[in-house]
Amino acid sequence: MIVFIARRLVISFFVLLAATFIIFVLTALSGDPLEDLRQDNSPNKANKIADRTERMELDVPIPVRYLGWLGRIVRGELGVNRDGQDVAPLLGHALSATLQLVLAATVLAIVVGIVVGIVSALRQYSGFDYSVTFAAFVCFSLPIFWIAVMLKQYMAIEFNNWLKDPGIPPTVIGVLTLLGGLIFGALTVGDRKRRLLAFLAGAAISGALFTLLSVTRWFADPGFGLPLVLAISLAAAVGFTVLSAGLRQRGPLYAALAAALIGAVASQVLAPMLVDPTWLEIIGLALVTVVVCVGLGYGLGGFQRRQAITASVLTGLFTGAVIFLDHMLQAFASYSKVVRGRPISTIGARTPNFAGDFWQLNLDSAGHLLLPSMALILVSLATYTRYSRASMLEVMNQDYVRTARAKGLPERTVVVKHAFRNGLIPVTTLMAFDFAGVIGGAVVTENVFGWQGMGNLFIKGLREVDPAPVMAFFIVTGTAIVVFNMIADILYAYLDPRIRLS
Amino acid sequence: MTTPNVPIEPRKGDVHTYDIAPNVLDASGEVHVGLTLDAVRPPSEEEILKVDNLTVEFPTDDGVVRAVRGVSYSLREREVLGIVGESGSGKSVSSLAVMGLLPKSARVKGQILFRGDDMLKMSARKQRSLRGRKIAMVFQDPMTALNPVHTVGDQLAEAVLAHELMPRKSALARAKEMLDLVGIPQAEARLRSYPHEFSGGMRQRAMIAMAVINNPDIIIADEPTTALDVTVQAQILEKLLEVKDAVNAAIVLITHDLGVIAGMAHRVLVMYAGRPVEVGETDPVFEEPRMPYTAGLLGSIPSLENSGDRLRPIKGTPPSLINMPAGCPFSPRCPLADDTCRTAEPELAETDSGGHFAACHHWDRLAAVEDPTVFFRTESETKA
Amino acid sequence: MTLNAQATEPGTPSDSQGMAIVARTQSQMVRRRFFRHRAALVGMIMFGFVIVLAFSSIGFAGIPGWWDKTYLDTGPLTNQGKPTLSLIPEFLGGTGIHLGEHPFGQDDIGIDYFALTMRGAQQSIIIAFVVGIVATLTGAVVGALAGYFRGRLEAVLMRLTDVMITIPVLVIAAVVGRMMGDSGALVLGVFLGLVTWPTLGRLVRGEFLSLREKEFVEAARAIGTRPSRIIFRHILPNTIGVIIVSATLGIASAVLLESALSFLGLGIQAPDTSLGQLISRYRSAMVVRPWLFWWPGMFIIMIALSINFIGDGLRDAFDPRQTRVRA
Ligand SMILES: Nc1ncnc2c1ncn2[C@@H]1O[C@H](COP(=O)(O)OP(=O)(O)OP(=O)(O)O)[C@@H](O)[C@H]1O
Ligand code: SF4
Ligand SMILES: [Mg+2]
Repeated sequence: MIVFIARRLVISFFVLLAATFIIFVLTALSGDPLEDLRQDNSPNKANKIADRTERMELDVPIPVRYLGWLGRIVRGELGVNRDGQDVAPLLGHALSATLQLVLAATVLAIVVGIVVGIVSALRQYSGFDYSVTFAAFVCFSLPIFWIAVMLKQYMAIEFNNWLKDPGIPPTVIGVLTLLGGLIFGALTVGDRKRRLLAFLAGAAISGALFTLLSVTRWFADPGFGLPLVLAISLAAAVGFTVLSAGLRQRGPLYAALAAALIGAVASQVLAPMLVDPTWLEIIGLALVTVVVCVGLGYGLGGFQRRQAITASVLTGLFTGAVIFLDHMLQAFASYSKVVRGRPISTIGARTPNFAGDFWQLNLDSAGHLLLPSMALILVSLATYTRYSRASMLEVMNQDYVRTARAKGLPERTVVVKHAFRNGLIPVTTLMAFDFAGVIGGAVVTENVFGWQGMGNLFIKGLREVDPAPVMAFFIVTGTAIVVFNMIADILYAYLDPRIRLS
Repeated sequence: MTTPNVPIEPRKGDVHTYDIAPNVLDASGEVHVGLTLDAVRPPSEEEILKVDNLTVEFPTDDGVVRAVRGVSYSLREREVLGIVGESGSGKSVSSLAVMGLLPKSARVKGQILFRGDDMLKMSARKQRSLRGRKIAMVFQDPMTALNPVHTVGDQLAEAVLAHELMPRKSALARAKEMLDLVGIPQAEARLRSYPHEFSGGMRQRAMIAMAVINNPDIIIADEPTTALDVTVQAQILEKLLEVKDAVNAAIVLITHDLGVIAGMAHRVLVMYAGRPVEVGETDPVFEEPRMPYTAGLLGSIPSLENSGDRLRPIKGTPPSLINMPAGCPFSPRCPLADDTCRTAEPELAETDSGGHFAACHHWDRLAAVEDPTVFFRTESETKA
Repeated sequence: MTLNAQATEPGTPSDSQGMAIVARTQSQMVRRRFFRHRAALVGMIMFGFVIVLAFSSIGFAGIPGWWDKTYLDTGPLTNQGKPTLSLIPEFLGGTGIHLGEHPFGQDDIGIDYFALTMRGAQQSIIIAFVVGIVATLTGAVVGALAGYFRGRLEAVLMRLTDVMITIPVLVIAAVVGRMMGDSGALVLGVFLGLVTWPTLGRLVRGEFLSLREKEFVEAARAIGTRPSRIIFRHILPNTIGVIIVSATLGIASAVLLESALSFLGLGIQAPDTSLGQLISRYRSAMVVRPWLFWWPGMFIIMIALSINFIGDGLRDAFDPRQTRVRA
């Protein structure tokens, strides 16, 4: 395994090196770096030209220039742009914002895409399947920038306006009710009567929910509170148990329920600590959660220890996420006041000079990330959905799935244990490809939302035929892609023993 | 935490006391045939499976595929029933129907009685509890039948855990026992191997181990050796017979290989175009076929007597299962076909010997000649 | 000893009785499956409509069209440049179905927006097709050579593909666009095609790797057939499904790629135009003149969606595995 990774690393390094050469040469050839100065009418025009020519080594052949750049990179310098500014600090600002955006979009796309794709495959030819397929095709065909502009124009502004008085008009409730019913109905398989019942149930639930949210003006000061946190976590506990172990034996269920319960209690006990935590503390809490939950699963799991551990760990982490979300929502009202009631932002990656506690800062990032990620995610989401659907359909047709059924395993085990894991294998190869695509999308999205991010660095550098910032952008994104590739490879090897052992 | 001792269901046959015959290639390179049908316990009179007028249809874009059109047979305890027939004759589909493993699109009608209970009318849960526990299946291609991402031991243990409440450790112990039984060396270590580390023959042994791990009453083996090396085939079949005897199970053996049926099956069912066309004890059916199709099959086998002759394959192809023409489905290829054959489909009916059924209007004409395969000889051959 | 080895003899009585399975040729089957794919049919119709509209309305390459305004001439601003297209008949309370003077409205200096959008659509379609064709040819050749010859050639070509894949398509395309944007749609298309082939290259190589081990290739090699002939006559025809499908989907993504580039100002340069460039040019007019934003966007989506649908239909037609009948 280590040999495998090491070899991949070495290959990736040389691949990246070759790629930098291509990008450097093409960028240098892409136009006239002195264009703006040639049209300059100031008296010291000749001076300026000479200046820049020297700074950018324009009188040296391009490959030599590349070697010079490479030499500086090896010493850890990113060089200066054509105006003599150091690129490194420019990059520093841009880096975290862009990586946040790209990672948020990728992770979300992977999780949601795989789940939707698999459900769609398991419900092949259902209304849900058709709708997902159609939606995926539309997403494939949407220009990112167009959607981004639309989101900015309609979503953000309208939504912020609506938040001033967040009652939901009856017609909208009606539409949402109908939608809820349709989703439930489409997900159900069976005869017309069952589907109708599911439709009615879905409609009733969503109708009641949205009416309640509207009447209580929940969106003005959102949050769950302990009872709701507990209810959601317990429901999740049952859900995760059904998925991982089934309800035939009690052990895993008790473990998961205990995890939810302990989580909810801990949220109250730890309340003082959660007033203004740091990320380090949050990560620490997550680790503690995992340890406790493994213990719970081990102790209570009975004959199904493994499944019990899976169920309780998932429940524990999920409960933690709900509590986290709850705190964010609790902070919403105060944050909203600070930004004068416009929490969904359309410009930049953060509110300038904003200071607040941990939750407010997170809300601020989230408010800025929301729209760009939504625009950015569409294509990836569609890709993951289609891909995992196809992969799952293929796997469900395999002989070993039939063997699993022939053993008398419950359908849940057949899907979760035998099909799911095999279905994921081809999806990992998609990850690397898609990640590069997301970075390209991020360049466009940042442009629309006016982020001073990596994309901006790249586009501006390219317009000015200035290799230094372009290369800085590429070094970072190229490395990210290589790293992501590596993660995908390791995941692949983890999922598929045939690779692991060879 | 200690795990309570869960009593394991008492077993019918005692696996440990069974004397395992070594069945590897012996020194001379010949396959050592250690076990024959006569050497294992004979079937009892008790009928454990009765398939009655089973039909299976698949609606497809091109029309309704009538894959199985009225299959009936019964299986007694410990009996080996062979099913033969050309590719596409519905052998696999009818067995998958018994296992309840057909795709959702399939329309299944008829009765499948397991010890008197109709499996088609059972709740899904009840059906599942029989599957793998009372009726197990060995599939054709061992290369694809095992899940590549889980260990062999895990996949075997899982088969036990699906039906019995017990610690994983005990299930793995049972798995090891089974690998021993099917003759996989170093069973303990092999439990931790992945399928791709096994050879084809070993995988099929593992599949057989998986099939018998719950002491089933019935093992359905769908062409268990077709995908294997010829040298391994005999070993696997013999293993199957041995293991069957060890757990006291009956076998439904599906194969293309008439030789295998002759050596391994008590009774045989010949299928053509989704129907049984001849049923009976193996010997009478093979010695005195009463249906031209069976006769044709026998005529196409190279045997010692006609080893000098040309092979005489049956000409033509089976009919499309979508637009089945009227009359006997074999009539376009049958040398005895006449107008009756082309208008009325013959029913399966008892022939001259008891318990020997055939679906042919003219079975008596086969009875009238010494060697029924004669009808498939070309004119020149007959003259010579 | 096995039963399924019987030879089928043509002309046996079974044929005349209609009992033989009808053997369809591959192309017949593909066509049949394609035309049964409803989304693909809708896609075909939609795409045909856009093509005919775009090229016949304002004419192309010197041939005049039926629309009387051009994408370059300014005119007097009427009705603040609002679109005059109406699709709601009078009896439904609308103003009747008619195009009016400026069906898509006018931009801020009075250019007819219908003509402008049509010009944009033409350019976008041309670029997409050129990209698709160039990328497909390059990818197929690289993939075929790498997959067939193996050895050092394969290593070199595949490393090259690895390098290309490490660079996000948009990034390398942006660089190429910066370089070639003002040389016109054709040149830009060719160059974009030259940097977007790696995906197809990998795909074709994969197909070749598995096909070159097949018996018919072995047989051809054994009797001394020239490699070029094996590649073009024996293997390539078997990968045609993969290539066509991926080319189609490649064209759809090229439409989006071009529009993204033009949006960033790195594609087609003014005064010529493309759909992406129109959106970019008028993005600040979004609030006051939303139609300047809507029309090109709708056309991009229509083109990309219809080609994607066609691609999906082709995929199902060439690779019916998901509906495969298996025992
Ligand atoms: N899911 C399905 N949908 C449509 N038709 C099917 C399906 N499964 C099987 N069939 C058809 O049913 C017929 C019988 O198939 P079956 O697999 O039982 O044949 P078989 O006798 O087992 O052949 P072989 O010896 O090749 O295994 C075939 O014509 C097959 O095409
Ligand atoms: S019924 Fe007629 S056609 Fe059918 S097998 Fe008998 S003789 Fe041949
Ligand atoms: Mg079969």
